[in-house]
Amino acid sequence: MSFEPNILTFCCNWCSYAGADLAGVSRFQYPANIRIIRVMCSGRVEPAFILEALNDGADGVLITGCHIGDCHYIDGNKNAEIRINNTKKALAKLGFDKRLRLEWVSASEGARFAEVVKDFTEEIKKLGPNPVKEVKINE
Amino acid sequence: MQKGEMYVGWSTKEDVRKRGGSGGLVTSMLAAALEKKLVDAVVVLKKINEFEAVPIITSDVNEVLNSAGSLHSVPSNFAKLIADRNLKVALPAKGCDVRAIIEQGKRNAINLDNTFIVGLNCGGSMHPVVTREMLEVMYKIKPEDVHGEEIEKGKLIFETKDGKEHAITIDELEEKGYGRRESCRYCTIKVPNNSDIACGNWGVTGDLVGKATFVEINSEKGAKLLQNAVDAGYVQVQKPDEKGIAIRAKIKGVMEDLGKKWKGKVFVPMDNRLEYFRKELEHCIDCGACKTVCPTCSCGDVSKCTEYHFRGDAYKMSMYHLVRFLHLADACIGCGQCSDVCPVDIPLTRLYRMFANPVQEQLKYEPGMDLRKPPYFEVKLNE
Repeated sequence: MSFEPNILTFCCNWCSYAGADLAGVSRFQYPANIRIIRVMCSGRVEPAFILEALNDGADGVLITGCHIGDCHYIDGNKNAEIRINNTKKALAKLGFDKRLRLEWVSASEGARFAEVVKDFTEEIKKLGPNPVKEVKINE
Repeated sequence: MQKGEMYVGWSTKEDVRKRGGSGGLVTSMLAAALEKKLVDAVVVLKKINEFEAVPIITSDVNEVLNSAGSLHSVPSNFAKLIADRNLKVALPAKGCDVRAIIEQGKRNAINLDNTFIVGLNCGGSMHPVVTREMLEVMYKIKPEDVHGEEIEKGKLIFETKDGKEHAITIDELEEKGYGRRESCRYCTIKVPNNSDIACGNWGVTGDLVGKATFVEINSEKGAKLLQNAVDAGYVQVQKPDEKGIAIRAKIKGVMEDLGKKWKGKVFVPMDNRLEYFRKELEHCIDCGACKTVCPTCSCGDVSKCTEYHFRGDAYKMSMYHLVRFLHLADACIGCGQCSDVCPVDIPLTRLYRMFANPVQEQLKYEPGMDLRKPPYFEVKLNE
């Protein structure tokens, strides 16, 4: 059986979640590997969430938010960008940086949401399973 | 006296000169600041024996004068001691202490305007437990017999109670895994120019060797502190000669190059990093000691990292440390205290620096060197 990754996706309530909704309503096809968690803003996603997801065996973490300038909370997504970029730099030490991605998807971009998910799933499939999963406990 | 000026000075008190290292200038300066009400309190190390001392906050001038005498094997960091106390305080500080105090100042735990930082040149400190073991294994002397210790020309010299001197080169000791703490070896802050006034014995020449301290004033506060000590009659100063200044700069350069060399030696690129981190963190017992001593950490008792103090969260890799790795990536100053206190001997400072080095290099940010806010806070609103 081919490798099917588990990708945790954080969607912001105001743009990306509506975008994902639109993708469903418009029947755009995208891989069923993602599990969506709705947050009020992409700025709410802390590095600890990402770490916990990766440590518990998620193969990838996708964070989506409103485009810069469109944030419901004015600058939440700017904070998110700084936060995620710094997290990425630090995660590079563990070799996890490619498993984390930040994308902007607006409420009207259902097609784009499907495209982003497709693209990220392809990339994770190429990377292979999360190495943490292979750790044997009580060896 | 002004910012940028350099002096050579010594204490006027016979007793302090005899007990203290390099003329006892720092001790006298602190005592004078307390005496003339420049500060309300002073932080000093209270000696227990040759290897151990506890930091205390005191307002007693005699206690300050009694504390004279330098110790190489007490790696305690004072920043957390004075944080959140709102004291008008003067304190001696190594390079890493200064950085920690400035970091706490950025986090509003210390009022830097009320804090007089007397920086001390530091070539590295030693862990008390390691030093005791080293004395038995390398020097073949009993730790209880040690009377004094000194570093001279790259040699670590211990003097025993019967008057004999035992010397071994530091390079040789470090090859065997003793000597300075690992974080001190790759530290590149040897002269603390970020403090108010930088003191040390490098650059003292001629008859004064061992009897005077070389002082560089780095700020207005530092000038005030030294001027006060001179006015109070605690300290005598004179201008240094050209040769001394050159020697000081040379020693500084050599030490910093050595630090950079060690950095290359300690942080070798590795292939299976995830496995390495997992193996090192495997034995963590979530005691939280590394967070308690961390001088830049200022979240308080209940914080993001302590929420993961459960073995369930760490069944594959310690979440507590992963959160702290990220949190300290832009704040770690590499003081080495986390490695010192770890009860299961995880080389934590090395692990923390592995995250902090690339982040701080990429962001061109050195914590504790100036008042620049951490990059995480440099978010501009309404741009």
